[in-house]
Amino acid sequence: MATLHAPQFLQPLNEQNASPLFRRRANTRERDHAQVGGGGADGPNFGSSRFSDTQANHDMQLGPDGSLAICTRCHEGFDVTEKIVNSGGDVWHPRCFVCAQCFQPFPEGVFYEFEGRKYCEHDFQVLYAPCCNKCGEFVIGRVIKAMNTSWHPSCFHCQLCDAPLADIGFVKNMGRALCRECNAKEKASGSGKYVCHKCHAIIDEGHIKLKGDVYHPYHFSCASCGTELTPDAREKNGELLCLRCHDKAGVPICGACRRPIEGRVINALGKTWHPEHFVCAKCEKPFHGSRHYERRGLAYCENHYHQLFGDLCFVCNNVIPGDVCRALNKCWCFNHFSCSACDRQLSEKTKFFVMDVKPVCKHCFEKFPSELQKRLKKASDAGLG
Amino acid sequence: MSAKAKKLVEECAAEKHKTLDLVDRSISNIIDLPGFLNLQHVTSITLAHNKLSSLPASIANLVNLEVLNLFNNQLEELPTSLSSMPCLKQVLDLTYNNLNEKSLPGNFCQLETLRALYMADNDFEYLPTEIGQLQNLQILVLRDNELVALPKEIGDLIRLRELHIQGNRLTVLPPEFANLDLMGTKNVFKYEGNPWAPPIMEQLKKGLANMFDYIKSDTYKYLYGRRIAADAPPPPRSHDKSKKASRKGMKAKS
Repeated sequence: MATLHAPQFLQPLNEQNASPLFRRRANTRERDHAQVGGGGADGPNFGSSRFSDTQANHDMQLGPDGSLAICTRCHEGFDVTEKIVNSGGDVWHPRCFVCAQCFQPFPEGVFYEFEGRKYCEHDFQVLYAPCCNKCGEFVIGRVIKAMNTSWHPSCFHCQLCDAPLADIGFVKNMGRALCRECNAKEKASGSGKYVCHKCHAIIDEGHIKLKGDVYHPYHFSCASCGTELTPDAREKNGELLCLRCHDKAGVPICGACRRPIEGRVINALGKTWHPEHFVCAKCEKPFHGSRHYERRGLAYCENHYHQLFGDLCFVCNNVIPGDVCRALNKCWCFNHFSCSACDRQLSEKTKFFVMDVKPVCKHCFEKFPSELQKRLKKASDAGLG
Repeated sequence: MSAKAKKLVEECAAEKHKTLDLVDRSISNIIDLPGFLNLQHVTSITLAHNKLSSLPASIANLVNLEVLNLFNNQLEELPTSLSSMPCLKQVLDLTYNNLNEKSLPGNFCQLETLRALYMADNDFEYLPTEIGQLQNLQILVLRDNELVALPKEIGDLIRLRELHIQGNRLTVLPPEFANLDLMGTKNVFKYEGNPWAPPIMEQLKKGLANMFDYIKSDTYKYLYGRRIAADAPPPPRSHDKSKKASRKGMKAKS
């Protein structure tokens, strides 16, 4: 509903009270009118337009279709003396026709529309315009989408010969955009050479291999000493070592602690050992050069070898030094071979009786209860003694 | 008891002999030998052919004793303290006594270092199941006892290389017995004079290896399980042991 009186606080703009900007714009209006719907429309997703003014008349203002005109933004009518901004069939108060981002009037009357909202050039670019991958400036107008990014047509060049690629097309070559000629040359020069798995460049001389892939050596450092690698580096257990460290890593590994052996090395049981780790399998004391005995892949000291596998005296259970008396499936130290009943010493020449596979001297046997004697004799006669 | 025995003990104490020979001195009680329990330096005592019916608990005073020969006595029980003797761990000869499973102290099988245990000519009907704890036992002699069964724990005696079970009342062997390695040329296994069940007897006739294979089989395990479940009465005593010399003391007492 329009009123006949202009509100006190709202002064219509005219030649006298207009701001310098408004006046400047008003001066260019005629030129702008000729360009409505014109410039900057190259981009596919956006367009810019300029508004047209409708000269205020002094009656109720009507919209272009004859109905009562309502501002698109504030949904209020227009004062009879007020200017009406008309753009694309919608009408605004001049104060309502502003950038959706900064709420300032559009400089030069140029605005960009996106999803029904209007932005000044600056805000539109900040919000939506693509950025050129080369120069870093916004791309207005034609955008080259290539290599997963955007370019000004004038910025998109062959990375080798610098020829503009915008109109002739390009070939992707190891992460680079090349013209067809350069690509062909690259292919020819690169044939038979390795391409680094890390930087994708041709490896001109000397590559290293890691887990089946080839690389420039200088992408890696030695896993042991940390120096930059050269083509003579070696892979070991999934790690890269310089030649020196690799050779050092070839030092013997202790069969017990699995660490490299720096000093003296013991070779035994088909393995290498730290001297202090080559120990008796039973008592775990190091041999330190004393004799060891091997059995079933294990090493034993003399004492424990005999204790476990050798001749131990039936009486003292020690390794038998010197002569061994063997009888009845048993062994004795020479001076421990004795009657099992009276412990009197026997010699290998002494006649003895056998009871439970141990020796009994004649003297003791005769002292046995007679019924036991009989039984033992009977058993021995039957070959069971 | 001969006066000589006392003299020998005194001599041994005075001259610090390591061994004491008391063979056939008609000793019936250790208490009769004054000073005997103070012979802490002695490592070997032979008490064979005597009339001992028991040992005092204080025998454990002889802390250095390694060899104790009690062959041919009349022992009916052993003291609990036997297991606590630190050095007594080599050979224990208890042949020809009157021992049975009730005579062994409960901790007897804690003599884990025991290498040879001679218990022939005694009265054992069963072995304690703890026998499996004697992990170092190489020789076990149970000739001429009254054994009617062996515990399955006998299969735990992995070092055993000599086993004498002849002259008992055994009919079957536990399947675990097959764990033992008694067939090598260095090993001794004596099993005669037992009323073996027919299938075992049959295998034994074919050879020891056949018997070991047989008791490993599932067939045998089944039969053994059934036999144990049936709880058949053991075979009767076959030997008259009343004439054993070790009984004489008992007769005299009674």
